[in-house]
Amino acid sequence: MTRRDRRLLWLRHSVLMVISVVMLAPFYWVLKASITGENIYDYPPHLWPVRPNLFNFVDVWYLIPFPRYLLNSIIVSLIAVAGNLVLNAIAGYALTLPFIGRRSVIVLLLSCTLIPFQATIIPAYLITAHLGLLNSYLGLALPLLSTIVCIFVFKASFDAVPRSLIDAARIDGLGELRILLRVMLPLSTPAVATNVVLSFIWSWNNFLWPLIITRTQDMQTLPLGLARFLSYMEDTTAALYAFVVMVLAPGLLVFLMAQSAFMRGLTTGATKG
Amino acid sequence: MRWRRVLSSRFVIVPTVIAVTIVAWNVYVSLHDHGLLQGRVIDAAGHPVGGATVILFAHDFVTQVEKARTHTDAAGAFRFDDNDSHLVQLQAQDGGATSPRITIRLWFRAQDHVLQQPLRLAPAA
Amino acid sequence: MTRRSRQAAVVACFLAPSLLIFVVYRILPLIWNVVLSFEAWSPLRPATWVGWDNYAEMLQDDDVFWTAFWNTVIFLGSQPIAIALALGIALLVNSDLKGASVYRTIVFLSYPLMTVAVAIIWHLMYNEHGGLINYVLRQLGIIHQPIAFLDSFAWALPSTIVANTWQVLGFFMIVLLSGLQNIPPHLYEAARVDGAPARARFFRITLPMLRPALFLCVVIGILNSFSAFDLIYVMTNGGPGHATELLITYIYKQGFGETRFDYAAALTVAQFAMLLVLTWIAHRAVGGNAGAIE
Repeated sequence: MTRRDRRLLWLRHSVLMVISVVMLAPFYWVLKASITGENIYDYPPHLWPVRPNLFNFVDVWYLIPFPRYLLNSIIVSLIAVAGNLVLNAIAGYALTLPFIGRRSVIVLLLSCTLIPFQATIIPAYLITAHLGLLNSYLGLALPLLSTIVCIFVFKASFDAVPRSLIDAARIDGLGELRILLRVMLPLSTPAVATNVVLSFIWSWNNFLWPLIITRTQDMQTLPLGLARFLSYMEDTTAALYAFVVMVLAPGLLVFLMAQSAFMRGLTTGATKG
Repeated sequence: MRWRRVLSSRFVIVPTVIAVTIVAWNVYVSLHDHGLLQGRVIDAAGHPVGGATVILFAHDFVTQVEKARTHTDAAGAFRFDDNDSHLVQLQAQDGGATSPRITIRLWFRAQDHVLQQPLRLAPAA
Repeated sequence: MTRRSRQAAVVACFLAPSLLIFVVYRILPLIWNVVLSFEAWSPLRPATWVGWDNYAEMLQDDDVFWTAFWNTVIFLGSQPIAIALALGIALLVNSDLKGASVYRTIVFLSYPLMTVAVAIIWHLMYNEHGGLINYVLRQLGIIHQPIAFLDSFAWALPSTIVANTWQVLGFFMIVLLSGLQNIPPHLYEAARVDGAPARARFFRITLPMLRPALFLCVVIGILNSFSAFDLIYVMTNGGPGHATELLITYIYKQGFGETRFDYAAALTVAQFAMLLVLTWIAHRAVGGNAGAIE
């Protein structure tokens, strides 16, 4: 490697390090605020935690019903993930079969991605109220039960299965559902992983919909609990930041465990099947 | 063989570790949550003080409210038996001398705790 | 039943649940919004047709609407900057750099977080006493008095834009990175053989081949500006005054704060029309066909 190349490499690494520090700084700051023993609203703040302790987390535990919020979030996410897996798999499979109007259905679905959720909140609220699903787990999960990006993820994966396998299965007399379960899905584990991760993250982080739909405190999900805590306590206590750390931990854990599936899912969705 | 691969995947190990930690923590909590608070009171010279009053303040949203009182025995030791809060303050009094209010933060409600430092009475100025 | 018609029945059954969800929660609400925007309606009174009244009020009498409109436009204008930054990072991280995957994870880490948590984190960062931003600026001597970023009319919107950029940078980077990695290397080889300098290589090969990825980033950026509700609601709630009010927060306040569902529907339709126009413009700007390469 020439000297010029080595210098360029150093330059590249140093720029990337600076960027990394900038991107990680907010994480560190909130973590420090949650464990430091000083008053975080004093100037000047210390860069390192002073007398670090974990007692803010104890305060949060007894101040808000964290297990209840966690349970609500988990249940809603489980319903959303399960629904997504089933609905998206069968819809993605149906899109690989030839039928009249297949192109129009695909175009219809693609154009639906342009309708952002925020353009639908008021009628969606009214519809859910008519269905009597306000303030219920099913009502919270219903709009998220199927996502178009994930349908196309499945479709792309199913399209890649060699036709010979499908034809062999058809000759053996397997029905469509059996083909899906026995042939397609076992060969599409990345698509399943992507679906699970994407639908979990989207339902876990959802804030606007639970804000509109929940009516009682014990049905709130974690993002709502966090926002309510902020409005009660304003920014007067470090317990808020301990709550933020507690809320972020599961999401970060899932992300770190399933990074590649997540990133792959976003880029596959990007190429839109 | 396939079972071993499934079991050693991170999606099994991480939740299992978390579950085991939660169970172990709950066991620890249930063994140590009798609400016991023990400590000693000494005067400004370092001698144990018998018969001093010790006041327990318990956390109530944003203030501390007096919960219980007790007296030290001849050796200057005191104990409270039914603390059920996770954030308490203790203060000792004997005649005119008082000690500063010590804040104690516990890991869980009604945790058994023994004070490391005794409450030191300072003469009223 | 023939195989064909049985297969058609199966297809219909398989597509039905998903299509039902989309019709009920996407298409139907959109149509409902359009119809509602031409009516005067409250949950207690039956609907009456009022034609363009809601739109007239929105465009002529409502200052907050125009404030929110321009704020949304500014927010939109920040997305290309974020995309350019992400392109820079993607270029740096591309290739077999040692530790590239670590850098990628670090930059992407902010994207899967709850936006509510991101808003609270940045609320702390901008705090005039305990916040990192004021601390760094004062230590560097750039300012001598703390700036209350989220309370000042001038700085509130840029502050929220910075927080949003921090969160969305990782997503743009990943999309652009995968676009970069799909460019066939023989194009670069041919250009190098022909003696083309690095800048020409970038503008003639890289950028055009990135058109689909760039188009996706632009569309997501547009959608992001129209849906940054979580961030604004928790960070500033549209304040101070209406300095950070976006169209989406205004819709929420009109619909669920003042229960003016009909007016909020008109606002929603206006916002959706804006979205369509912008997407169409982006579509033409990358050369039609969603930038696909033949």
